[in-house]
Amino acid sequence: MSRRLEAATIVAASLLAAFAVALVNFAWGGGLDVQVGLTFLVFIVSFGGFFAAVQTFAPRATPLLIPIVVALVGLGFFEIYRLDTERAGLQRWWMLIASGIGVLTLWLLTKRGTSALRRYRNVILLVSIGLLLLPNLPSDWAFPLKGLEVNGSRLWVVFDVGFTRIQFQPAELAKLGIVIFFAAYLADHQRALREAHRRFGPIRIPEPRQLIPLVMAWAGSLVILVWQRDLGASLLVFAGFVLLLYAATGATGYLVAGGVMTITGAAAAAVMFDHVQRRMTAWLEPFQHYEDEGFQIVQGLFALGTGSLAGSGPGLGRPDLIPNASTDFIFAAVGEELGFAGTVAIIALYGLLIAVGLGISFRSREPFRKLLAAGLTFILAVQVFLIVGGVLRIVPLTGITLPFMSYGGSALVGNMVLVALLLRISHEEAR
Amino acid sequence: MNGPIRRVAIGVFVCLGLLLAGVTWYQVVRADELRADPRNPRPALSERGKERGFIVAADGTVLARSVEDPNDARSFLREYPEGETFAHLVGYSSFLVGTTGLEAAYNSDLRSRRDLTISDLVAALLGADLRPKNLEITAFPELQRAAYEALGDNRGAVVALDPATGAVLAAVSTPGFDPASLLTNEAAANWESLLVDSEQPLRDRATREIYAPGSTFKTVVAAASLDTGFANPGTTFNDPVAFRLPGSEATIENANGRVCNDGDSATLLQAYVRSCNTVFADLTIQLGAVDVGITAEALGFNQDIPFEWTIPQAVWNTEQLAADPAALGQSGIGERDVRATPLHMAMVAAAVANDGVAVNPFVVRRVLDADGIAVEENTGSDLGRAMSSETALTLTQMMERVVTEGTGRQAAVPGVRVAGKTGTATGTGGFSNPWFIGFAPVDNPTIAIAVFIEGSEVSGESASGGSVAAPIASELIQTWLAIGS
Repeated sequence: MSRRLEAATIVAASLLAAFAVALVNFAWGGGLDVQVGLTFLVFIVSFGGFFAAVQTFAPRATPLLIPIVVALVGLGFFEIYRLDTERAGLQRWWMLIASGIGVLTLWLLTKRGTSALRRYRNVILLVSIGLLLLPNLPSDWAFPLKGLEVNGSRLWVVFDVGFTRIQFQPAELAKLGIVIFFAAYLADHQRALREAHRRFGPIRIPEPRQLIPLVMAWAGSLVILVWQRDLGASLLVFAGFVLLLYAATGATGYLVAGGVMTITGAAAAAVMFDHVQRRMTAWLEPFQHYEDEGFQIVQGLFALGTGSLAGSGPGLGRPDLIPNASTDFIFAAVGEELGFAGTVAIIALYGLLIAVGLGISFRSREPFRKLLAAGLTFILAVQVFLIVGGVLRIVPLTGITLPFMSYGGSALVGNMVLVALLLRISHEEAR
Repeated sequence: MNGPIRRVAIGVFVCLGLLLAGVTWYQVVRADELRADPRNPRPALSERGKERGFIVAADGTVLARSVEDPNDARSFLREYPEGETFAHLVGYSSFLVGTTGLEAAYNSDLRSRRDLTISDLVAALLGADLRPKNLEITAFPELQRAAYEALGDNRGAVVALDPATGAVLAAVSTPGFDPASLLTNEAAANWESLLVDSEQPLRDRATREIYAPGSTFKTVVAAASLDTGFANPGTTFNDPVAFRLPGSEATIENANGRVCNDGDSATLLQAYVRSCNTVFADLTIQLGAVDVGITAEALGFNQDIPFEWTIPQAVWNTEQLAADPAALGQSGIGERDVRATPLHMAMVAAAVANDGVAVNPFVVRRVLDADGIAVEENTGSDLGRAMSSETALTLTQMMERVVTEGTGRQAAVPGVRVAGKTGTATGTGGFSNPWFIGFAPVDNPTIAIAVFIEGSEVSGESASGGSVAAPIASELIQTWLAIGS
């Protein structure tokens, strides 16, 4: 794929987003208004600008990544617009900010490259833990940075400077920092971790001493779960670590141990915490608990089923009946209006994105970059599987956002940084 | 490290495959089930405010129309100008409580397809007309209103057919309800109160409920007797005060508790005109369940009758009755397990009027596109010959005698020859269910009627088919002949 084709595809995907917004307008009796133009403009400025920055700061990066991202953001954006015009306006600002931060990331890495991340891994880990703890700041103190509790989870930080309030979820950035640390740690210790094993038939069991990092990651994610009640982030961090540990060592024992620990942790959480228990009920028997726990899931399934093959058409379904349609349930909302055709396209786009990410990892020769590319792609994949699988009742609903598509600024910022890192790695490893 | 990463990659793509299986399951395999789940408000909401086609009566009266919502230019409101009189026939289309009647039966024609879905846009590009279609039906509002008023406070039904074609001239069920009350924001509450109403106004007694037809069923038995040559109007039968059912202590008596004729013998004609249960129980047992069954089935009993919606089958259990003479005797006078809708009993009268050929009933005359061009036209269909021409002629003469000198005298219309048969079926809780079926004018029948009253308040002689149902038929025949002239 040439650069010119990449640019053309980005423009085409931006046009598609603007066209979908226009279709929503048509469905509501409107037409080509300022929203359509503004959408196209913001897409071109955000992603065109990001594309231009890649040409400058990482010219040898793969051209396959950005068009897929623009298509996904576009598919999510028209649905956000359809559900809540005001949020769509905010999301456009966040697109500009996220692309800007993506460009900043690329610029910061021009001088010393991703090896700087490896060198400062401990600082990055500390900053990430600090970010994770931010929401636990008091909500009522005078300092402009405050924690915030929403729906029983402590995930939000408010930056309140009188004339304006900015809310963000620091975990969206922290999880990237944690992946960077994992990749750097495992790149340093992979040999030791790989070789110290006892064999039990075909399965190799790691030495107890070598299980310490695994146990620490597990404990850390349980802390997130207990302290912040964030089931999704907790699962994501732990799954990301286990997969990366396996990637670094090839020891199946880690996968088995990780799986056992996930199930134990989830079972314990289900017994100990009401909110986890409710999610289990909603997962297993949503139709029997339609009036309360199951309502959201069942509405999501009704949306998908009513959308059927071709969907109702943009603006013509009723995805607004699903609670949290623009965040956790954006997949079901798009599925109602674009139908099976739309959901298959979305899953295919994520498949492509993951394939490109893993391709970058495959082609990397340097272990840290290889593991970082793999780790970043893994958490993306896990996130897609957890939330789409949650909507489809394949796994319990964990309440995390669908990357690039859900409404939410911090998630978009985090995901654009993730894309910038992948692009930087592919630039550094290009032969 | 590429080995393990590749294996994780395979795992990731297996998971994506699971997601594909998931969307296939919910959006393809179970899509219809999820869409139709009663808790899913989407299908009804998507019809809310959409334009629907007109439903007009045979004389052009508008029965249902969509008008622009004065508060929302893009939305339409459904109106039913004839209200309660057409409530069951036309039905309603409500986003809160569903769709019934012709609104439901012809929903796919009446609804607008202009909802901008991709498949509709493609259809439009290929030249399909997405505008709602309109229905022209066979019923006459004047006759319909006359029937509704004549039924008054009774629970009951009136069905009038064109005996030559089966076109429904009127189909009324009382009590009615105002379909407009189910379109408002209080629709759910209004519907609830209609549901719990002891008078059951939502029930369509004309076409969707089966009742014991009582002595009107003697018309079927008489037709079978004449058709098989088992009897003619002059054939005589025993005339006891009470007929003892074979193999049983039970007896069957006449409505007035007396003999039919002179206590010695009574003719078929006398028994029919005076509606003598004793003679007909005896006759039916002698004739046999099979022969009655052949005529009954030729008249559509035990069969699905094509109609705009599914109507319950009329019941005559030939096999069971062949083995049980006592039950057969009771069934011969339209009691026990014999059942039919008022619509079906109107078909029986129509078959006699139509020279013995039974016709299938229908309501929708034409489906018109938005330009007024008929895209579907219904001229009626025959069920087939139910009895010979001679039988039909003889039976017509017998039925005319019922009105001139028998139990149906109150169905008479001055200057018009009317044929008919009364019935007073045993209802629930000691109440009786009066019936009348008939047709007019005898020399060139243009209307066949069934009148049914459920659980008349007064029992005994004053609540018989002759005294309660026959006068309603008389009124309707007069109204009909006035419309025709």
